[in-house]
Formats: sequence, C-alpha cells, structure tokens
Amino acid sequence: MPDRQDVVERNDARVAFEVFGHGEPALLLIPASPITHARSWKGIVPALARRFTVVTTDGRGTGRSDRPHTPERYGPAEVTADLLAILDAAGVGQAVLVAHCHAVPWALHLAGDHPGRAAGVFAIAPATALAPPHPHTVEPDRRWADPVDEPSGWGMRNRHFWRQDGGYRQWIEFFFAQQLPEPHSTKQYEDGVGWALDTEAEAMIAEREGRSAPNGSEAEALCRRVRCPVLVVHGSDDRCQPVARGRRLAELTGGDLIVLDGAGHLPHGRDPVKVTRLITEFTDQITGTPIRTTSWTRGPHRKRRALYLSSPIGLGHARRDVAVAKELKRIRPELEIDWLAQHPVTAVLDAEGEHIHPASHWLASESAHVASEATGHDLHCFQALRRMDEILVANFMVFQEVVEEGCYDLVIGDEAWDVDYYWHENPELKRGQNVWLTDFVGYLPMPDGGEHEAFLTTDYNAEMIEHIDRYPWVRDRAIFVGNDEDIVPDTFGANLPSIRDWTTQHFSYSGYITGFTPPAPDEVAPLRSRLGYRDDELVCTVAVGGSGIGKALIDKVVAAYPLAKKSMPELRMIVVTGPRIDPAAYPQRDGLELHGYIHRLYEHLCACDLAVVQGGLTTTMELTAAKRPFLYFPLGHHFEQNFHVRHRLDRYGAGQCMDYATTEPDQIAARITELAGKPVSYRDVETDGAARAAQLIAETI
Amino acid sequence: MRARYPDIDGLVVRDGVEIRYERYGQGSPAILLLPTWSLVHSRHWKMQVPYLARHFTVMCFDGRGCGGSSRPAEASAYSDVAFAADALAVMDAAGIGSAVLVSISCGALWALRLGAEHPDRVLGTVFIAPSAMLMPPLPERRVQRFGAVISDPVGWQTYNAHYWKTHYAEFVRFFVGRIFTEPHSTKQIEDATEWALETDGETLTAADVGLECCDAPATRRLAAQLACPVLVIHGTDDALRGHVEGAALADCTGGALVRLAGSGHFPHLRDPVRVNLLIRQFADRILS
Repeated sequence: MPDRQDVVERNDARVAFEVFGHGEPALLLIPASPITHARSWKGIVPALARRFTVVTTDGRGTGRSDRPHTPERYGPAEVTADLLAILDAAGVGQAVLVAHCHAVPWALHLAGDHPGRAAGVFAIAPATALAPPHPHTVEPDRRWADPVDEPSGWGMRNRHFWRQDGGYRQWIEFFFAQQLPEPHSTKQYEDGVGWALDTEAEAMIAEREGRSAPNGSEAEALCRRVRCPVLVVHGSDDRCQPVARGRRLAELTGGDLIVLDGAGHLPHGRDPVKVTRLITEFTDQITGTPIRTTSWTRGPHRKRRALYLSSPIGLGHARRDVAVAKELKRIRPELEIDWLAQHPVTAVLDAEGEHIHPASHWLASESAHVASEATGHDLHCFQALRRMDEILVANFMVFQEVVEEGCYDLVIGDEAWDVDYYWHENPELKRGQNVWLTDFVGYLPMPDGGEHEAFLTTDYNAEMIEHIDRYPWVRDRAIFVGNDEDIVPDTFGANLPSIRDWTTQHFSYSGYITGFTPPAPDEVAPLRSRLGYRDDELVCTVAVGGSGIGKALIDKVVAAYPLAKKSMPELRMIVVTGPRIDPAAYPQRDGLELHGYIHRLYEHLCACDLAVVQGGLTTTMELTAAKRPFLYFPLGHHFEQNFHVRHRLDRYGAGQCMDYATTEPDQIAARITELAGKPVSYRDVETDGAARAAQLIAETI
Repeated sequence: MRARYPDIDGLVVRDGVEIRYERYGQGSPAILLLPTWSLVHSRHWKMQVPYLARHFTVMCFDGRGCGGSSRPAEASAYSDVAFAADALAVMDAAGIGSAVLVSISCGALWALRLGAEHPDRVLGTVFIAPSAMLMPPLPERRVQRFGAVISDPVGWQTYNAHYWKTHYAEFVRFFVGRIFTEPHSTKQIEDATEWALETDGETLTAADVGLECCDAPATRRLAAQLACPVLVIHGTDDALRGHVEGAALADCTGGALVRLAGSGHFPHLRDPVRVNLLIRQFADRILS
C-alpha cells in the first residue's frame, strides 16, 4: 500500500502518482501509459520500497489520471513536465528513472534536459527509433490512419478499428498475447489486458498521434545528451521492440545492456525477481552505497541452521510445523531453527517459544488477502492464490534476503508457495537444502468455472510439473502430509499425468500430522468434566476458524439451533466465532453459547458429541483423529476443501459433507439430532506423522 | 607452478634500495596489494592475484627486507614513510596514476600514510586485519619485552630481538602458528613459514624497530585526513591483533567493517574466496 496517493495538476489535466517507502535514493517508475499504468509495477514495488523511496505514476490518460482526447496533450514536453511536477510534489530532487517501452524516450528527455533530476536511467524494452522496428509492425503502422476492413494481427493497431465496437479490446487481447511469449503467463496476460481496458480508445489514439517520438537522428542526439548511467534490459523474444533498439541505446549512452534470454516485452511482470535485483544493483552502483558493516562466518565455523516457513493460510500449518520442528530438534539437537512467518502463525510460534526471524515483519499478509477474497461462505481459493501474485513475489524477496544473509543449511517450506515457485523460476538463487511440504497436490477446476478454469488449472499444474522436471535439484525433498490413498484419483489436466502416480514418484509420504495426540477413549470423560460438560447434555461445538469468513455458516447454524433444541432438549451448543465476528450480534437462547475465543479449542473438538465446521483439513482431521461425529461445509469454490479434503475424509470414513448453498436450517437441525452422540467407526489417524516428516527432513542435512 | 605469472616483473631503485615489483592484467581501477611486515614477501597475495588480475590491473611488491627487495640493515630504513614512498615509486614505474590499496596487518600503516598524504593516488583502501596501533595489545602479548634479555623465553616472550639472533626459526614457527588460528591450516602455515625463513632475524629486528615511530595518535591523525572509501576486514579469532582494532579503524576512518567470524590474522590466505569477493565488490563500487 502506498504511503501517499496524490495527483499533480498541470494545464487542467491531473496526473496521478503514489509514493512508497522513504529510503535513499528515490526511484521514479514511468509506465508506458496510457496502455498501462502504475499497477504494472506491482511485482517490483514492495521489494524496492523496502530500500528506496519509490514514486510511481499512472501517466497521462489512464488510471487515476485524466484522459485528454487531444494529441497535443501527450507530447514529450507535456509528459516530461508531468514527471518533473511529480518529482517536485513528492519532494524528490534526483531520482533513478525506471521506464518501460515508449516511456523510455520520456525518461531520456528528462535525463538529457534536466540532468540534475536524473541519477540514472533503467530502460526496460525501450521503444526508440535507434534501430528499425520489427518487420511485422511496419506495414500495419503505415496504415494506422487508413480505414480498414476486418483487420487481423498487427493490422488491428489502427485508429478506425479501435473506434469500432469491441475493436480496441480485440487489439489489446492480441497485443498482450504477443507481449508474453513465455509459457504459463495467464495471470500477467489478464493483468495487462485489464489495465489496458482501464483507459479508452480515444485516449489511446490521442496519445499515439501526439507522441511525436524522436526519429532516428533525433533519438541519437537525445541519447548523446544523457550523461547519467544507463542500464538497458531487453527480452530476447520481445515482439514489440527489437533487441537491436536496446543495444543501440546502450551504445549511444555508454550504458550496459542485459538481454533476458527467453523473455518477452514485459519482464518486470513476468520475471519480477530478476528485474528487482537488477534495479537494486544498478541503483547501488550509481549511489556507491558503501558495503554495510556486516559479518561473515567461516563455513566450518557455522552452526547448523534451518529456516522454517509455515503457510499462514489456515492455522493448521502452524501446529503441525511446530510438531515437526520439535521432532527435528530431537533428532538433531544442534540444529537452530528460525521461523519466517506471519500472523496468525506467529501467535502459535510465540506461545511455543520458537524464534521468529525479525525480517518477518516485512512480510505482506497472505491471510488478510485470502480473507478479502471471501464472500459469504465462498472462497475461490485458486483465483485467490493467482491474485496473490504480487504478495508472493514481495514475500519471496524478503525470504531471499534472509536466506542470503543467514547462511542456512536448510529451508523447510510448508506450502511456502513463493519460495517453491520463484526458486524454480530463478534457480540460481537457491541456497541450502530445500524441503517442501504440502497436504495437497494439484489444482482442480470447479465445475462451474467451465473450460476456461480447467484450462487455467491445467496450465498451473503443467508449469509446476515442468519446474520439477527441469530443476529436480531445487526441491531436495518433497513430503506429502498424508498417504498415497489420500490423493485424489484425478489427473493434473488434459494430457498430464495422474496426480497420485506423479506424487508417488516425486514425494515421500509422512502420513498425516495432527500436531497433538487425541485423548484415549478412557480419557474423554475426565476431559468432558474438566471442560464443564454435564453428563445429561449433548454438546455440539461450532467452529469456523479465525477469519471473518465463517459468519455465513454461523448464521445458518444458529438459526438451526432452536429447531434442533426442540427435538433434542439435552442439546447444548458452543459456538466459537473467532475474533472478527461479534458474538453479541446473535440472539441469546437457553443452551446456546457464543464465544469470540476459546483457549485450547481442540480439547472441545476432542470431547464434544458433535461438531459443525468448515471444510478445512486441519479441523476436520482433528475431529477424525478424535473420532467425533461432525458435519462439515466446504467453502464454495474452494477446490481444496471440496475435492482434496473431502476425498481424504471419505477414505477415513469420517464426517458428513454438507452443501452450504442448498442446506436449510431445518436440515441442519435434523442432522444434528441424528448424529449427536452417535458412535463412529473412522479409520485410525496415525500419530507418528511429525516424527516421520522430521526424519525425512533430517536426512537432507 | 603458479596460477598466474606477472606481465611485468620489475625493479625500482629508491635511495639505493631495490624494490622488486610485479604487475598483472589490465582493467580499472588498478589495485595495489601492499607489503606487510618484512616477515613475508609478496607471494602472500598468491590467492588474490590470479582472480583480481582477471578484472583489474594488479600490482604487488616485496617489501624492503624480504623477497627480491634489498634488506637495509638500519632500522630507520623501515619507517612507514619509507614503505609509502616505495609504493609510490612502484606505481610510477608501472605507470599507474591511482589505485585501490589493499593492505594486511601493519601494511595498514603505509596505506594510511599514502591515503592521507597522497589522496590523488589513492581511490580507496581495504584494510585486512589492520595493525594500526589503535588498541592496546592482546592480553597474551603483554609478556613481550622486545629489547630485554630473557632466559628461556616461551610463547610471546620469543618476540624478542636477542632471541631472533639465535632462534629465528623457532620464533617463526611460534609466530606463524598464531597467525593461523583456524583448524586445518597446515598448508598456510607451511607457506608462511617458508617465506619467513627467506629473511632473517637481524633484518626483521630492524623492520620492527623501524615502526616504533608509529602510535595511536599518529594513526588517528592520518585516519582523520583520509577521504577515500574504506573497508576494514577483521577476523574475530585474530590472535595477533584483536578485531576491536579493525572496528576502531573503521570508526575513525568512517569506513565499513566486515567481521569474519572464526577467522585468524591472515584471512586472505585462509578464507581467500570471501576476501577476494569483498575486494572485488569494493573495487567495483569505486569504479562506478
């Protein structure tokens, strides 16, 4: 989130800017507006803002800026004046200019004509006339102003076509497909198209006709006026701007060129880790940032250290990871474990006296993101994960700094998606042994997502399979928290392998890890009396986790309570709302209790006569291990709860799966009275999972 | 054989003293690897030269009193001023206007003098395990009495002019053992012992007495004049000069400090990879 969001106003046109962070020096990120805007930097801003002051702008014609329709409002003098006004308004004297595509000439104008304001120019995929354009764009661009009938491909870059109904969108969809030749770029494609549609054809036409980009000799003269350091980054597969243009820009400015082999026109979107590191190195070189006072420990002199990452999505990971860490320390007492973790995992770790790495406070909140994605009893967790892309890259950059400075022997990532993904995308950054844990493998499409969602999940699965196939040394060990039969019988998608076969080939099985030992049958009665349960009552525990997502389910269950109580007078219902839901908002009824928080909730889950819960794996497996009857309501569109967890529970013969959308309170009441206090015959849940996982981890160091 | 041989192996004569120097590679900035106390000659940079010479112009020279350089008998020939003047003569002879200086141990003394008095010749300076007289000696060295007659000296008592006349080799074995406190340093100990035995006790005595003019106030005065970037590298297990010396020098020069946890007095030989990378990083930043 920006520290400041503002606009500058020049000649009646407002141009939006944002400021992040407060380090030295400042960076000004200049997008190729108006086809895109400041959000196009989302993959690199959080990491850069931890070191530098980062100023972004939407540019003229899009985002929060005004959208003039007259070409002269988009000339280089206007834009350069905008940028100077933004620097002034942000209180920045001199900045490193980071510009993309046709914003690069603007940065060169600024650096050449106002040398005191530019400390350096970092040019990404520069659009300059220093070398010929791609041949495929020459003829279409010549016919830009000509009326055309049903153009295709690059021919859609045409002012008349853009004014036709749907023409501009059609062009944008073609254009961004061209700009992302890298496989598995669906999210970057969706983002690019979405930002391009934030503006309108008239603004785009005005900008294109008013751009007055310098011709060849003017561009050369412009380059020669630039005195500050220049670094050019250009993808080898850029279909918008030929690499020759980037090379010539570097030559004429005395700068360096870095070709990103295999990259397209949007490397800051598709390879944000590499681009962030290049910008950081470039900036450090310009400013001659001194080597900080630091320490390096001789290799043989180091203690054995592990960095443990525990996914904050759902509290279940924290408890099982603490159990694994305790077992690991038992096997390897000399091992020091640091945790890179965020709320709510940190609450569990603090209580257990575990050491949380101080860099943890830099992590962007994954759990808050997931909560923000939920509506009612619905959470499309696959799309939520896709939309978490910028949080994942921001957190990866924190992780990478920690792991480079900390000399860890071992990284343990329990569903640390950022580490797993970006170490495969940037394998040269891997440090130490790497153990990956997960309790599900494979994204599965929800039926109502249709063909497109199936295409997306298949693409994500294919990318993961290719990662493992290409870089088998990135994961030194992969552990599936469960057994082979817990894995769904599906495939990863069309023309992809069976999930179970593939997982068996690439993973070790630890068995399930509960993180606690359920009470033996003869321990249940003493536990019930300690918790204050009377012998003549049947206790139904309702729990929905710590986020606000559970309110819809609580509403329905509370509505079912009077009906169930009527036919089962001995019923007592204990509802745990979590901190985000106000218990006082519900009617008071005899035998119905609502609590914001209950200490050691799992004891209630082990002792109750029936539980009503969501479809999360941890809680349902706690109930399974404790052999309690329960109803569970998977969140809508949550593929993991609807498929993976349900499959596993079916194998254990545990729980009654309920569909939230179609189940009315009277049906819930009927199930409560039917199942409360009834004996169950579930398959046993192993109790040695943590020890087995720890052994598998210990073998890697 | 060596990993790399010099492009120029030259001699420069200054006030009748011959100084043997080597020049390697090309590229800027130039790096001058300074001599240290005359106990060891320029081969002690053997782990740095091949790497650095791929990226930079690298020079080193045998300090007066060892290696291929002359061995004046009088102590006055071994002042920090004399070593600094030798360095300038070598740079002139090799055609190098300005350079990044890298020093080890008491090489810090001439690096400070060069940087303070010839700022146009010095782009930056890296001090490794500096012995710049800023801090009192380590407790175990307080038994040293350099000029006294000690019967059957042991340990640091062998740091003694009379003992060196008759038992120089024994002193070298003790002293080199204290340079390398890291386990498994046999090769480094053998090398340094061999180099040290190429000179003799009388020469080393002169070289030691010649530095008696250097003290903490002099170091602080020179450090205050130093305007170039500074990096100090110091091992936490340095048994000759505690790493608080490095911290003090970083403090009074405004330089950065990198502590090498577990390293002894000659990390450039025992942890050459880390030291090479630190020098490279420092020189790269000077260039930009």
